[in-house]
Amino acid sequence: MEKSSVRGIVVSGALGAVSVVLAVTPLGYLPWFGGISLTVMHIPAIVAAVLEGPWAGVSVGLIFGVTSLVKAAVAPIGPLDPLFTNPLVSVLPRLAIGLAAWGVYAVFRGRFRPVAAALAGAVGSFVNTALVLTMLGLTAAAQISGVFGVEPGALPAVLAGIAVSNGLLEAAAAAVFTAAIVSAWKGIEGGSGKARLAREEGDGK
Amino acid sequence: MKNIEFLRNVSIGMYVEGNSPVHRLSPAAKYAWLLAVILPASFAGSSAVVGSLAATCLGFALLARIRPLSLLRGFLPVLPLVGLAAFLQVAFTWPQDRSAVILAAGPLSLTVREVLSVVSMALRFATMMLALGLFTSVITEGDTARGVEDLLAPLERFGFPARGLGLTVAVAFRFIPIVAGEMEAIVKAQAARGADLGSRRGGPIRRARAYLPLLVPVTVRALERAEALAEAMEARGWSSGPRTRYAVSGGGRWDFLVKLGALAYAGAALAASAALG
Repeated sequence: MEKSSVRGIVVSGALGAVSVVLAVTPLGYLPWFGGISLTVMHIPAIVAAVLEGPWAGVSVGLIFGVTSLVKAAVAPIGPLDPLFTNPLVSVLPRLAIGLAAWGVYAVFRGRFRPVAAALAGAVGSFVNTALVLTMLGLTAAAQISGVFGVEPGALPAVLAGIAVSNGLLEAAAAAVFTAAIVSAWKGIEGGSGKARLAREEGDGK
Repeated sequence: MKNIEFLRNVSIGMYVEGNSPVHRLSPAAKYAWLLAVILPASFAGSSAVVGSLAATCLGFALLARIRPLSLLRGFLPVLPLVGLAAFLQVAFTWPQDRSAVILAAGPLSLTVREVLSVVSMALRFATMMLALGLFTSVITEGDTARGVEDLLAPLERFGFPARGLGLTVAVAFRFIPIVAGEMEAIVKAQAARGADLGSRRGGPIRRARAYLPLLVPVTVRALERAEALAEAMEARGWSSGPRTRYAVSGGGRWDFLVKLGALAYAGAALAASAALG
């Protein structure tokens, strides 16, 4: 069947819901050692960009960004949450996730597909980290240096440190998850036809 | 894992039933006012502008008969942060700080600029909290999606897919309980097979790998459902012609004036913040 616009729209909605659920439950964070957690909430945006193109990736990124904006304002938990009530920090960088992931996937699509998906995941994730930290540095330099307890002059170095340590780990995690999800989905699509669920429910119940 | 029942914890909307003038506004007008408050609040440098934005939110909250304190209850967990920021502001001196010193005790000094910095941070956060809390209190789920479509409809003539984005938001809202339910079922199924998500045992790689058999099936199930929904919508002729709506949310002349008011308000707030620096 030909790919249609309604398919892209509906898939974006479904992946947007996955990202909302990850954002509002503790499952959005992988516990890592120390106090650090790695986020996986941006992975649906990457998957949407890989499967349905840039527009889907941007829509899911928008839903993810708005969710983190509303969550930061309505139910803040972390010390950095007040800074995420700024749409420049919470929404704008998230729109770029899908674009970056789609761009990388479009370049490498011809090669081995899971590798292209993994690369898209890594780049999309790192773009997210880098842009969020940049916007934090631009919009709230004084508050952040307060939170980390450093002089404002040393802030770029601290943020770059986070981008490298946390950002690279998150990029690696995103690469693994995106490749796993995309190959699982493409396997289903090729192996047993589309909309397995519809068939199951049709003859089962 | 402690919280295995996610459905109970999934609540981002806090809609409060009501029939106030604010509730009766069209969804697009509510969005217009939300943007008219939060965009200037995130750009504005002056505390006076942010303060008047907060006052506007309070006015709307009174009009909507929603207690402002209930919107601000999220402020409590953040108080330690404000305290910490205040302490650090006092502990470190800013090199370019030439403002008057209010209090001085040994190496610690409290200057006007330091006080202003902490107050404006708290004020900006409270404004965002009021605006977004109020917005989610007066808009229903369905209206959230319709509002996106209505607000962006003027951009359709430039090729912006407003209708598609509105549908995406509507589908996302519809899918949230489904995805949460499936996530719960999959977590339970994996736990029954011996997976221990969120435990502190094993190395970091092992703990991260425990998430793979959770995220992959959740996403794939959501994609399967989306596929089925897309086929069903196509079979019913979606995207084959102009679309009509069951719920009409256009609003009349009064609503149009309210939207114009939001535009003027945002312009005035941005101009004021530019003028005051």
